[in-house]
Amino acid sequence: MKYNEIIKLNNELEKKVNSAQYSIAIISNIMVHQSEEICEYFLRVDSINAKVLLGEYDNIVQGSIKFKDANAVIIFWEACNFIDGFHYKVESFSNSEFESIIEKIKIEINLVISNLEDTSLVLINRFSSLIFNQFSLSNNRINQLVERLNIFLEDRCSANFEIIDIDKVISRLSIKSSTDLRYYYSSKTLYSIDFYKKYFEYIKPIFLSKTGKIKKALIFDCDNTLWKGVLGEEGFENIKIYKEVQYLALQLAKKGVIICICSKNNPEDVDNVLENHPDMILRDKDIVIKKVNWNDKVSNLISIAQDLNIGLDSLVFLDDSSFEVGLIKHNLPSVKAFQVPSQEYKYGLLMRKVSNLFYIASQTKEDVQKVQFYKDQLQRDKERGNIENIEDYLKSLDLVLVVHIDDLNQVSRIAQMTQKTNQFNLTTKRYTESDIKKLVEDGSKTVISISVSDRYGDSGITGLSILDNSKSVVDTLLLSCRILGRNIEYKFMDIIVNFAKNKDVRVLNSQFIKTTKNQQVSDFYEKCGFSKIGEVDDSVQYNIRIDGYKSKGIKYIKVINGK
Amino acid sequence: MENRIKKVMGDIFNIDVNSINDKSSSDSIENWDSLKHMNLLVALEEEFDVEFDDVDLENLLNFQLIYTAIRERIDDIC
Repeated sequence: MKYNEIIKLNNELEKKVNSAQYSIAIISNIMVHQSEEICEYFLRVDSINAKVLLGEYDNIVQGSIKFKDANAVIIFWEACNFIDGFHYKVESFSNSEFESIIEKIKIEINLVISNLEDTSLVLINRFSSLIFNQFSLSNNRINQLVERLNIFLEDRCSANFEIIDIDKVISRLSIKSSTDLRYYYSSKTLYSIDFYKKYFEYIKPIFLSKTGKIKKALIFDCDNTLWKGVLGEEGFENIKIYKEVQYLALQLAKKGVIICICSKNNPEDVDNVLENHPDMILRDKDIVIKKVNWNDKVSNLISIAQDLNIGLDSLVFLDDSSFEVGLIKHNLPSVKAFQVPSQEYKYGLLMRKVSNLFYIASQTKEDVQKVQFYKDQLQRDKERGNIENIEDYLKSLDLVLVVHIDDLNQVSRIAQMTQKTNQFNLTTKRYTESDIKKLVEDGSKTVISISVSDRYGDSGITGLSILDNSKSVVDTLLLSCRILGRNIEYKFMDIIVNFAKNKDVRVLNSQFIKTTKNQQVSDFYEKCGFSKIGEVDDSVQYNIRIDGYKSKGIKYIKVINGK
Repeated sequence: MENRIKKVMGDIFNIDVNSINDKSSSDSIENWDSLKHMNLLVALEEEFDVEFDDVDLENLLNFQLIYTAIRERIDDIC
């Protein structure tokens, strides 16, 4: 897409996207003003209401103070402009001059890192020598400097920093297309429009992850998608397994991505390949849901999303048929659908691109176990269908709820839940690891996390509430969709109220903030006996007198204290 | 070609294309500052697949000059 079209569409999107504003400050020691609309556009198309704030030219340290409260900060720190003309002066410096410049930059890096320590997300580009060093045969000072500073950067950066390998973006485009040296010489504008397009496309998954818009399930067709050839026609012996793609899919599954199959085939034929084909990498145990039938794929994908209890916008679909891909794009535009190329070498590249859609900032134990959780869940749902009385079914599950209070070991998982949970989430407040760490350590706040197990397995940490004791308010209350439908939420409310009572709270306040995805909990506080006391825009305020709270008296969930 | 230039100008300056005429210049268009000027030129280069000389960059401050500069470069190619 051309730059002027991006600017035009970005202006239109500004009016359409009305989720909470997400401010991104871009601070730099070069001119980067052309990144503004491109950054906003790439995020607004995915409903992130981005607003870019530009720092002053060559004012990174001051910018890191000024913009520390932005939702995110991006730093362009170019070696060529450490001081004016650095890239051609550097070899003339004495050793001590050279070292003192490195020291100066290190001090500035430390300052920036400490100024931004409380900022939710900071993206800093690795220092690069590529542009001005492209013809240099010998290992020169710019190389050494960049290497040393990158080691320093990696050593110093805390968990809220993401270090971006800008050389990958430059390499994909070529150095020539990434830069516009005419404008660098006239006005310190180093990068081209094409560079910014590739750059923001490259880093976008980080923002999707941080704003809870991450993809969760990857759904494969079978013929010419998991293998080359048509199973029903060419037969078991003549299909050729796409090993590279299956290896990559299995790696995603290990990170917690849900792998499913949606194929028009005879189910027993596909099962036979999954079980018996010697070259297969993905096996039956790796596939969470198989929709192998002759129904249309639109209904199959809807049914997969329902079975997994996730939104259609969490699905990614791969199919070799332009018809099927077109059908999904037309009927289910929120599903990301890709057509598999017929050349295997192109398919490998596509698969790597697709993998980025599942990017998560840091990985937790729960992600790794997730495939098993979803399988357990489906087994439970299947049994539920056979048991008439839901209460009897729940009693038969041997549910155990373990409560953890202010547990520092769980900071990463807790932050991830606030970022990824959309449906059972009363306020949908997103927190980063550093936010959660602060809340855990803050004496006036209590972070209550719960894990749930039953006779089918352990869900891990899957529920969270954050209480602000000084204000007697429930700041956050959420449950992972994996444990819904078991009345865990009512037992959790007992625990929360009990905790507040022990803190001498008399009236507990709470609120429901409406989003497009949390409709199912809009009346949760009312169901728990809270009274509605006010309503402003999308937010409803409630409270309850602690001594007037009536527990649902659920007996079949056992509660034990962690640690 | 004139209409394509005007469309790009309209998008970059966020103004109505119909308000742009042959006499439009950095004096008559309020949003046309030095940063937007840079944006305009790279957008025009992208649209017409041409490259302006660095000496021209600062001078192309009205519609006529831009039109002429692009015309020359397209004619060169033909």
